[in-house]
Amino acid sequence: MRALGSLTVIFAFCCYVPLAIAAEDSVTITSPADGAMLNMAEQARIDYEVTRGPNGDHTHLYVDGKEKKVLRQLKGSHKLDPLEPGKHEICIKLVNKGHTPIGVQQCINVSVK
Amino acid sequence: MSLQDLGYALVQVAHNFGAVAIVGGAAFMLFMAPQPGSMQRKFAWLVGLGWGTQALSGMAFGAISYHYYGSFPDIHGIAIAALAVKMLCVASGLFLVALYLRYAGNWPDQRRHNAWLILFTLGAIALTSAAFLRWFS
Repeated sequence: MRALGSLTVIFAFCCYVPLAIAAEDSVTITSPADGAMLNMAEQARIDYEVTRGPNGDHTHLYVDGKEKKVLRQLKGSHKLDPLEPGKHEICIKLVNKGHTPIGVQQCINVSVK
Repeated sequence: MSLQDLGYALVQVAHNFGAVAIVGGAAFMLFMAPQPGSMQRKFAWLVGLGWGTQALSGMAFGAISYHYYGSFPDIHGIAIAALAVKMLCVASGLFLVALYLRYAGNWPDQRRHNAWLILFTLGAIALTSAAFLRWFS
């Protein structure tokens, strides 16, 4: 009976600890900064870092609301297609294995001249 | 293990067995020794059940996503095309199975063979599209 109790405690501990130390889902666009001014002559590049928590799997990159690329690396850099002059919104959304956005995202606004 | 993951996994189980039924059932009728009419009819039911399972489990994937996140999977381009092809295959498969169950009693062997060939081809196309749907978005 005591062995059963010990096993129960060990099982509960094993189930609990991964949840307790699991990282939270997060997305960070490290470059360019929000509000940055980009030069149309230079190909823009976006740098990002992703932390996968319990629900996130990979990310989708959007420019002005249109999906441009599936990003599967947790940390990386992606060259953007040439942007027209003016203001643009760039977003990276964390999605689950079924490509559903889980509500974790970062968006920045840039201006291209 | 979360309920969400369990839900996705159980739906995936149904989706996988549906795929096995539509391709395996049609392949058996196509490539194995000719079967008596009663057996062909049983396999037509099996394949039809498989197509129905594919349709329902496909919708269930979307329903789980909507339930937990308030949105459906965010897919574009190739993935949208792959989904459209899959849906077309499901509709065609269900229609052909219905025709088979209703009229195949009077069909010559060659026409039955052609029906199984089409069902097998639809299954293969649907499975191929599923891979593109999974890895593109």
